[in-house]
Amino acid sequence: MADPKKPRAPFAPWDRRELPGTFTVEDTAKRVGHYKWVEMRLFEALGGWVATVPELDVKMRLGTHCYKHAWHSELWHKRLPELREMNPDRLTRPPNEAMEEFFKVLTEPEDQGQTIEKLVGVYRVLIPRKIAAYTYHLNNTSTITDAPTIRSLKLALNDEFDDWRDGEMLIQALIETDEEVERAAAHQTRLEKIMLRAGGVAGPGSLGSVPETMTEEVPV
Amino acid sequence: MTKVVVIPEAFTLVHFESGRIQDLAAKVAGLVGLPADVEIRIEVEEQSPLGRVRVESIDPITIAVQGGAFEHAKKPRQLSDDSVVDVLGRVFHRIKDRLDPDFGKPPPDAELTLQQATAWDAYCVGRSDRLGLHPSKARRLYHFRNRHGFTDVADATFERLWNAEHLTWADIEAACAATASARQPA
Amino acid sequence: MKKNMPPDELARDGRFVRVNMVERISDPRNGRGPTGGRVGARLTPDRPGAPDAARALMHGIFVGEIQALEGAGRTCWDFEVGAGSDDVPFQLKLDMARQCWDEARHCEISVKLSEWMGTEIGEFAESTFLFEAACNPDPVLRLTGVNRALEGLAIDVFNTMKEFGNVVGDPVLEFCEDWMLADEVTHVKMGSDWLRRLTVDDPERRKRALEFQRIVDKLFSGGGFRGDDEDSPVHLARRFREMAGFTVDEIDEISDLARQARAEARARTAGATAGAAAEAG
Repeated sequence: MADPKKPRAPFAPWDRRELPGTFTVEDTAKRVGHYKWVEMRLFEALGGWVATVPELDVKMRLGTHCYKHAWHSELWHKRLPELREMNPDRLTRPPNEAMEEFFKVLTEPEDQGQTIEKLVGVYRVLIPRKIAAYTYHLNNTSTITDAPTIRSLKLALNDEFDDWRDGEMLIQALIETDEEVERAAAHQTRLEKIMLRAGGVAGPGSLGSVPETMTEEVPV
Repeated sequence: MTKVVVIPEAFTLVHFESGRIQDLAAKVAGLVGLPADVEIRIEVEEQSPLGRVRVESIDPITIAVQGGAFEHAKKPRQLSDDSVVDVLGRVFHRIKDRLDPDFGKPPPDAELTLQQATAWDAYCVGRSDRLGLHPSKARRLYHFRNRHGFTDVADATFERLWNAEHLTWADIEAACAATASARQPA
Repeated sequence: MKKNMPPDELARDGRFVRVNMVERISDPRNGRGPTGGRVGARLTPDRPGAPDAARALMHGIFVGEIQALEGAGRTCWDFEVGAGSDDVPFQLKLDMARQCWDEARHCEISVKLSEWMGTEIGEFAESTFLFEAACNPDPVLRLTGVNRALEGLAIDVFNTMKEFGNVVGDPVLEFCEDWMLADEVTHVKMGSDWLRRLTVDDPERRKRALEFQRIVDKLFSGGGFRGDDEDSPVHLARRFREMAGFTVDEIDEISDLARQARAEARARTAGATAGAAAEAG
């Protein structure tokens, strides 16, 4: 057995974590507040839609996914005070008006015949954007100072990938005609355009670089 | 064609038509192979939404049916052709067995044990299935398991009864004995 | 998507057929003679129709689970987070989302269990009574009606079915009911906790909520369908109710309500029988 008194490196040779990270505590709190707002709007919408979809498999999946996003919102809610935001409600807000508009349009479909639109909005537009923003955050934050956020991001991403796959497969199973392909594409295009204006789920800079056309974050 | 009498002639509490029940009963009786010269009396207790059916006598053939047995499971108080065919297919096979001297002498319906009744039903409904009357095999299997145990022996016995064509009352009793011994703790 | 969706808009595929309470209550067979009405005897294996009764009850549980899922989902959507009387705390919404997952799982369990019992999806008619209780615009009343009254009934039903599964030796039925029962205890506890927390400074609102619960409890006792009497098809599961936060007094009160509902149903039966006799005479 090794000599217990022998000094060892505090970081094992295989532990490559580093201090530098893209985000300050304040930046992180702002992003986390946006995440919480988005996760809340999403779980509310999924919960509301359960009663409006006649397809039993979709109904049960939405009920399951509803909780996962509620849990993500709770993770972010609990992270905010740890990021010096003692009033979590203050930062629980959308990054801009475009994101509010996005959710307004996302939750427009209500009719029983609009399951495709409901799923497309969530699984072809919103969840891919969440995966993108969470992944960018995960890959750019300090692996040492921001370990709690990283853990939450990994837990959330694990769910997002599973749910995206579920949702995409349901969409593929539901779309049976050219007309339905067009309906799905039209709704996706409409939402993508709004999301483009929003700049992603955390606003401009969701993926780091801010397009020249949106250098200023528009406060709500 | 077998003569069928349905009591009451006119229903007041449910939306059943005795003529429709008569037609279906005559058709099923023909398919099952009941003698054409017998008269079948079906007494429907229309005030009951429950689903019990009993052969009250063989000579003359009298069947007592609680209204729920003929009722549409999704549409209260409406007659279901499928239910009528399902119920009568099973009961007419039982009557056919009782009329067949080679079948043996089963006790009257009221004296059958739950195991005997369910085993005989499996044999009757299996034959209905092969006549194209579309009963639910899964439902019958669940009934059978409830009475004969949730065991491999019970499932195999059910399959044998379901697929059989020329059994006797002694075979039904033997099936009951086989599942009973499988239910005993080792 | 609008708030407060009416029950007749619940989305179902073509296998499901809905029957409303009025249709059930106004069924002229109710109270006609000893076999009139739908309430049967206690669910015991010695009843010749027990397997079919268990199948029908399980299908009722299945559609109840769908509606419970829908009701919890709508509670996530219908209310804003806030401190106003029309608002709900953030944590309450999280609990409702959790309930969505539980109910979705119960639907999955029910589908598999129904298949095991030889039942087809939509084989029996669906009553939307459960969702109707989940439409109350006051979140406290909604939670009390659904989580304490209806989920409380679910405890009684699951316990009855679990016992039935045990007695007939159906391992799948007993296993499934055992797991669902555990979740229902959690849901009732949620309802009890939120009722206490949200009405701590508002005794009037608590009184209204408990009154609403009594109405739902009485309706669901269905003329003797659920109660402490030996021949009630579904028995009050006292031990599990206590685990879920009901006091002994509260359980006794439900038992009394059930007895009252049964006596009223018997009075109606006597009236109907007398009426029928007069018609016939």
